[in-house]
Amino acid sequence: MSVLLLRLAGPMQSWGSSSRFSRRNTDVAPTKSGVIGLLAAARGIRRTEPLTELLGLQFGVRLDQPGQILRDFHTARSLDGRQSAPLTYRYYLSDAAFLAAVSGDENMLYGLAEALHRPKFPLYLGRRSCPPAGPISLGVHDGTIDDALTSWPWLAAEWYRRRASREVRLEIIRDVRPGEPVTETMHDVPVSFDPAHRQHTWRSVLRRHVDVTNDVAERAGVTEHDPLSLLGG
Amino acid sequence: MFLTRFQINPARRGARKVLSSPQAMHAAVRAAFAAPEDYEREGTRTLWRLDAPTPATVHLYLLSPGKPDLTHLVEQAGWPTTETWVTRDYDSLLSSLDAGQDWAFRLTANPSHNGRKTADAKETQRFGYLREQEQVAWLANRVARHGFTLITQRDGLPNLRLHHRQTQTFKRGMAQVTLTTVTYDGILQISDANAFRQALTRGIGHAKAYGCGLITLARAG
Repeated sequence: MSVLLLRLAGPMQSWGSSSRFSRRNTDVAPTKSGVIGLLAAARGIRRTEPLTELLGLQFGVRLDQPGQILRDFHTARSLDGRQSAPLTYRYYLSDAAFLAAVSGDENMLYGLAEALHRPKFPLYLGRRSCPPAGPISLGVHDGTIDDALTSWPWLAAEWYRRRASREVRLEIIRDVRPGEPVTETMHDVPVSFDPAHRQHTWRSVLRRHVDVTNDVAERAGVTEHDPLSLLGG
Repeated sequence: MFLTRFQINPARRGARKVLSSPQAMHAAVRAAFAAPEDYEREGTRTLWRLDAPTPATVHLYLLSPGKPDLTHLVEQAGWPTTETWVTRDYDSLLSSLDAGQDWAFRLTANPSHNGRKTADAKETQRFGYLREQEQVAWLANRVARHGFTLITQRDGLPNLRLHHRQTQTFKRGMAQVTLTTVTYDGILQISDANAFRQALTRGIGHAKAYGCGLITLARAG
């Protein structure tokens, strides 16, 4: 069993699984369709071409740095200023970092890792306006998605880690394996990215946590400051 | 001296008033003392600070020469049937302070300097320091005269963390007050116990009526 690890970090990201019409939401974690779309773009698969080989991939993601929701109130007018496009609200995650893992056939994963280094189409984090900061691929590694997501070092930025507490709990959202109880379903498995007939279907996901120790946390006793404890509570 | 902690119930309308305006909180603190000498005594004064240990809890810390009665605050912004306030004697801690001791401290202060808005302005006025390094320098410049030093970390910087850096505006009568505040957390070492005791009971810096200048101590490490 091998996994391809991806570092999804950048000034802005936007992962929509349910957006329709003038309100374009973002999920708090990368969606499977967003990441498969990114891999397809790296491979040079056009939107109208079938995704067959990518559909069998297992997917999991760890929320290393959740980021903040950013709302963009979007207005647009035609060049002569006469016509206005519908007003839209677009949502982004700013300053977020995620560790994503996909597992499947080993040769294909090596091919995808190579494609991420030399992408055929530009890569972006959910939206064209959200370029990634730094290389996306962290390489192919042995083990299951669970192993990779629990053992890989924490990807959060230095400033974020310094402010975090000494023990940090990171959330993992991954595809359910056969036989596991289903906790939740998400509507983000791509069937076709064809602009004329986009299609998604459901997947079952499991949420769990991993605890990491934060070495660079600023001293203990700083966030918990209780002056009355000296005086007998 | 007495140190008092009062937990504010942010769900109440009265809490919104005192939390949004240091002027309103100042009035509420002032009203907690029947006798003037309990509020202000020769060489000491009442200091207060708002602390939010978790996003949902807000504590008011109050250091005063006499014991406060916060019944009015409990009624307007507290839990009248279950929670009141805790007051502890502070003198035993003050007398146990000695040079060489390390303490974790927290201070919310108003780092500021005087100057003229333009070169030819007649009046000088007070300006808040907005940049983090200026705010650190402001504290570093005055620790010596208050009888303590900031412990230095392995990387050579003072063991200090700044948070809740903000500029508030609120009404004072018809006028508007603009106040820059920052909360310092860190470890200090006492160098001169008497000067340090004075800093604890008199406060540091400006805007002491508006929740600035109170240093509280906790065990280090």
